[in-house]
Amino acid sequence: MRRYGRRAPYATEFIIGILLLGTSAVQGEALSGPAPVTQVVAIDKPNDSGGSVLIRWKRSADDGAGMMSVKGYEILRSVEREKGYEHLTVVPAGVEEYVDNTTVDGTSYFYIIGATDGVHRTDSDPVGPVMSSAQWFHQGRLNMLIATVLLSGLVLWFINRAKKGKKLYIRPIAGLQAVDEAVGRATEMGRPVLYVPGIQDMDNIQTIAGIVILGRVAERTAQYGTPLIVPTSRSLVMTAAQETVKEAYLNVGRPDAYNPDLIRYLTDDQFGYAAGVDGMMVREKPAAIFYMGAFYAESLILAETGHSTGAIQIAGTAMPAQLPFFVTACDYTLIGEELFAASAYLSKEPLLLGSLKGQDWGKAIFIAILLLGSILASFGHYFLSDWLTTGSL
Amino acid sequence: MAHAYTPGLRITDKTLVRKERRLPLKGEVLTAPGNRVQADTVVARTDLPGGIQTVNIAGILGIPPEDVRRYMVKQEGDGVEEGEVIARSRGFFGLFTAIAKSPVTGHIESVSDVTGQVIIREPSSPVEVDAYVDGEVVEVFENEGCVVQTVGTFIQGIFGIGGESRGELIKVADTPADILTGDEIDGSCRGKVLISGALVTREALDKAAKEGVSGIIVGGIDDRDLMDFLGYEIGVAITGSEEKGITLIITEGFGRMKMTSRTFELLVERVGKRASINGTTQIRAGVIRPEVIIPLDTGPLSDETKKESPGLEIGSPVRIIREPYFGALGKVLTLPSELQEIETEARVRVLEVQLEDGRRVVLPRANVEMIEEGRSVIR
Amino acid sequence: MEGEIRFILATDCGSTTTKAILIERRGEEYRLVVRGEAPTTVEAPFEDVTRGVLNAIREVEELAGRRILEGGEIIKPSKGPDEGVDIYVSTSSAGGGLQMMVAGVVKSMTGESAARAALGAGAIVMDVIASNDGRAPHQKVERIRRFRPDMILLSGGVDGGTVSHVAELAELIAAAEPRPRFGSGYSLPIIYAGNRDARGIVKERLGADTALEIVENIRPVLERENLGPARGKIHELFMEHVMAHAPGYRKLMSWTDVPIMPTPGAVGLLIELIAKRDGIEVIGVDIGGATTDVFSVFKEVFNRTVSANLGMSYSVSNVLAEAGVEKITRWIPFEVEEIGLRNTIRNKMIRPTTVPQNLQELLMEQAVAREALRLAFEQHKSMAVGLKGIQQERTISDVFEQTATGATLVDMMDLDMIVGSGGVLSHAPRRSQAALMMIDAFLPEGVTRLAVDSIFMMPQLGVLSTVHQQAATQVFDRDCLIRLGTCIAPVGLAEEDEPCMKLKVTLPSGEDVEREVRFGEMILIPLGVGEGADIVMDPVKEFDVGAGRGKVLKTTVEGGVVGIIVDARGRPLQLPERAELRMRKLKEWAMALDAYPRLDLW
Repeated sequence: MRRYGRRAPYATEFIIGILLLGTSAVQGEALSGPAPVTQVVAIDKPNDSGGSVLIRWKRSADDGAGMMSVKGYEILRSVEREKGYEHLTVVPAGVEEYVDNTTVDGTSYFYIIGATDGVHRTDSDPVGPVMSSAQWFHQGRLNMLIATVLLSGLVLWFINRAKKGKKLYIRPIAGLQAVDEAVGRATEMGRPVLYVPGIQDMDNIQTIAGIVILGRVAERTAQYGTPLIVPTSRSLVMTAAQETVKEAYLNVGRPDAYNPDLIRYLTDDQFGYAAGVDGMMVREKPAAIFYMGAFYAESLILAETGHSTGAIQIAGTAMPAQLPFFVTACDYTLIGEELFAASAYLSKEPLLLGSLKGQDWGKAIFIAILLLGSILASFGHYFLSDWLTTGSL
Repeated sequence: MAHAYTPGLRITDKTLVRKERRLPLKGEVLTAPGNRVQADTVVARTDLPGGIQTVNIAGILGIPPEDVRRYMVKQEGDGVEEGEVIARSRGFFGLFTAIAKSPVTGHIESVSDVTGQVIIREPSSPVEVDAYVDGEVVEVFENEGCVVQTVGTFIQGIFGIGGESRGELIKVADTPADILTGDEIDGSCRGKVLISGALVTREALDKAAKEGVSGIIVGGIDDRDLMDFLGYEIGVAITGSEEKGITLIITEGFGRMKMTSRTFELLVERVGKRASINGTTQIRAGVIRPEVIIPLDTGPLSDETKKESPGLEIGSPVRIIREPYFGALGKVLTLPSELQEIETEARVRVLEVQLEDGRRVVLPRANVEMIEEGRSVIR
Repeated sequence: MEGEIRFILATDCGSTTTKAILIERRGEEYRLVVRGEAPTTVEAPFEDVTRGVLNAIREVEELAGRRILEGGEIIKPSKGPDEGVDIYVSTSSAGGGLQMMVAGVVKSMTGESAARAALGAGAIVMDVIASNDGRAPHQKVERIRRFRPDMILLSGGVDGGTVSHVAELAELIAAAEPRPRFGSGYSLPIIYAGNRDARGIVKERLGADTALEIVENIRPVLERENLGPARGKIHELFMEHVMAHAPGYRKLMSWTDVPIMPTPGAVGLLIELIAKRDGIEVIGVDIGGATTDVFSVFKEVFNRTVSANLGMSYSVSNVLAEAGVEKITRWIPFEVEEIGLRNTIRNKMIRPTTVPQNLQELLMEQAVAREALRLAFEQHKSMAVGLKGIQQERTISDVFEQTATGATLVDMMDLDMIVGSGGVLSHAPRRSQAALMMIDAFLPEGVTRLAVDSIFMMPQLGVLSTVHQQAATQVFDRDCLIRLGTCIAPVGLAEEDEPCMKLKVTLPSGEDVEREVRFGEMILIPLGVGEGADIVMDPVKEFDVGAGRGKVLKTTVEGGVVGIIVDARGRPLQLPERAELRMRKLKEWAMALDAYPRLDLW
């Protein structure tokens, strides 16, 4: 911040001021300063973590009116009413508040606002004492609080309902209902199941979702006694996939049927991987193929090859550009969000189901409020949008 | 439809009772025709094949199923102990060997090179069949069982739970209209068969089961109580395998039902005698009703008198077996042959009955049962 | 041959009664002449089914004034106008019918196909064993042993598909050492109808100890079912093994011109035949004492299910157990205590032959019947489904409408006819009671014809259709069914008393009946048997009578002993929650149909 000297920097303004004041000076008031500010208030700044005081005032009668002489307001502070005032800063004319961010919590301060025309300063009466302190609650974040309470409340309520055995309706996702069917088909045909968890690493949320679904698919293949092949393009994904599949086989009491050799690392290279997986499809002729994770240009290469081998294919990705390819080449496709909702859907655990349902309701409510806000704003009522952005009406 | 009536339950003072005692599987019969047997005498015995356990050798050893035979340590027919190694794979220089152990004691029944699995059969368990009633063995089915014959009182119930049981008859009701609440039951009832009246409550059942009562014979029970006692609802009318430690025989029906005085008197007359009872009920093709058999100390029968049941006739004693006169006794007054319309507007074959209290009512023939004497009665 | 056949005798040996019918050609038409019945004599003390058959035929002889028997044998072919018959056929469900277990690799695929094959052949499926049924191997063995089926149908794998799963199932069946119910002298019949490639292994595992028969795969590819050969083999083995060991059946078999068929199998044949001939979608139901059979033909696919434990006497308690007390009391238009209802139902179970004597008892029994029918129909809907495990073709337009395979085939709006049979329906004192029970239990939508088979001769006609289709269908059309009328039920919901449809019926007399139908009411418009009426239905925009929401439908409806029943109680059916209100509505509806006498008195 630029610091101004007391007088010197105002040299130019001073000269102009003299010229301007010439007329009034003739009326005998040339040597007095501008009218003082009125209604000075100093309060602890609300909704902060302490260390600041808010000072407000009504501007001087000569600010933008009257003599038009005010150039700025000087803020002075002291710890005593009578003396020891120090210059803090000067704010330009027209400003009516200032936040002093340099206070020490627990110390009493006094403030004086001096209206200045560059030469003279007319001080207000000191205000104070005022003490800065931290607040427990930031009222400006009330909107967030309500949103959080609402969302958590919904989630908790739905979890509770789910735990009590109430049936929570979740829109049937055909692609997930078809998991049993796809694995069943592979079993009847005596062919393996192929699971492709995308070409991204474990830091991608889609890969994680893919691995979660892999766990469910593995439980099915364990129950049905059908081999499950998982080619991966990242070493970490291979390890995660092995652990997930092993656990799934253990869960359904078939640890003996788990074969780690079927979960393989191919290559990090995108098209090398695609070529490798295509090769597996052609050789092993899996009867069910899953694509769950992040895919790029290889999506159609994989899905087309899979389709040509006569497999039931179920894809799931949040990559918008690849979705059309999957939709047309696969039997079922999980679109975006569905991929992430899949674990709740498959496990039917109250905790997951409840949070899914609660979040969905939360989203629905927010969409409704946004729509309402837009409509109100279109008609010139801003209270809702203001409240949403600043938390104050 | 000339004989459309319900053949009543048999309540017979003294009759010839023949009980077939058969093994579930072929086995050994331990008795011969002419032998006197007690109810608890074992008359036949067999071994029930043990359960099976499968072991996925191919999976455990990580080998293709067709190689399973090569790695088996034990072969088909060999006995194995629990935890014993049954297959072992040989890796490089004896390293990386994998072993498969038997989860149970038994013998290896089969090794499959298609599924890669081995089936281990657990040891068989012995099954014994006793004589159920005191009496005489009159016929033996080779390897299957025998027929035990006795002379005694034979009473059929309408519904029961629990299987075969036996014990001394004691009386816990003064009249056939009494309710068994449980207060009448104490330690002295252990192993006994209780004769009670019109209703047995849930509390009485629980107490009887706790005190080790062998069986209860009663007129009626509330369905709700029975359900609570069993812990589940009876679906299909096939009972006998309940394991509540007690056999219950209902003689009249559900609800509070005064036991027919004839049944009650007959049972009371036999107090102190040993009774063999069975609650097994099957109301389906091949009806089985629960029964009480009280063998009597009489010599062998010299002559058997068979008499065909004459069917429903004017004057026949009947019992009404459906609302609104459920449980009432009476005598047939008329048997009109043409169909008549009853309250429901259904046209059915009816009869007119004079109830014990003098009222005359017209009923569908299907809603009465004859009070029958035994077919072969010894006097 | 058909030209010479004049007299046809057919019997059905049920578990309690044996029913005989005599059919005669009069002019160009075959018509039912008389029927007779007698108790079935499979069990002790008679243990010879033919005695009951002869008794039933004797009743036919008396009623028809025609000599059919000579020295305990049927005179065949007929000798002149007063003696003998030309064809004799029979069905049987005595001794508990045909009880089977089926096995498949995946429960919802080959397992389901196997169950369908067995059910379609008229069997009761006691259990479905599958690789993925969640049971440990020893539990599967335990079940096979405990149930003691008459026959096992083993399937699994498409042709060229899995061998190891099939081998595992065969090994388990072998380990169970299954024994048949009747007689110990013969080995259990097992039909293998699975993967062609696994035949050798199955033969090796099961060939020695069981009577193994191999037929074509019931699921050669996942996309197609081939149930015919397996069904045919089941019928054949039912004759050779099961029936031949039941008392008296050998003799009976020697009398019949075609093999004896399981009763439900024969009913299924007839329903399939009629649906195909008339191009209609039809549901048939037979509610018995122990079991309830449901047959359906939708989109030309025949399905049959049997709810082995839903019935009106032996299994009546199980209806209570499965439906619950509340579901039953909701149909009773008067106060009834739970304990009283329970005891009444149990007493019916232990004394199955009794009949309701007063109106309250009748209403209770019919309430139970509604629930038994409803539950059986639920089971049917879950079994009558499309094939699962089929590859789908997609276009980009499917993006938000991906439908799963294996949806139920039952579509109530497309349904043309419901045929009911079984004591509680065919012996209901008033026909409108039967109509009401069927409407309440099945909830037909749109326009649906209702009929009952009053004397239950569908089994005999079914088996007859295999030798003389013309006679079977003619008798079916003329004598078998009692037409109750047509049910019109707009689909949709509204507030009570709001208008939901305008209706204009042009009666055969030329008279027009115009009505505004309000939500929550039932209306009866009399229209006699054999009469037709043109009808114009104009539903409000929330309601659909078959042409789509708010669309006008013009059609012709058939009359019957009841008439045209308009059911505006909403689909799904809305019963008031509050007891008094519900009872008042129930009475209102029953009175609208004139279903019970003296209903206004209480």
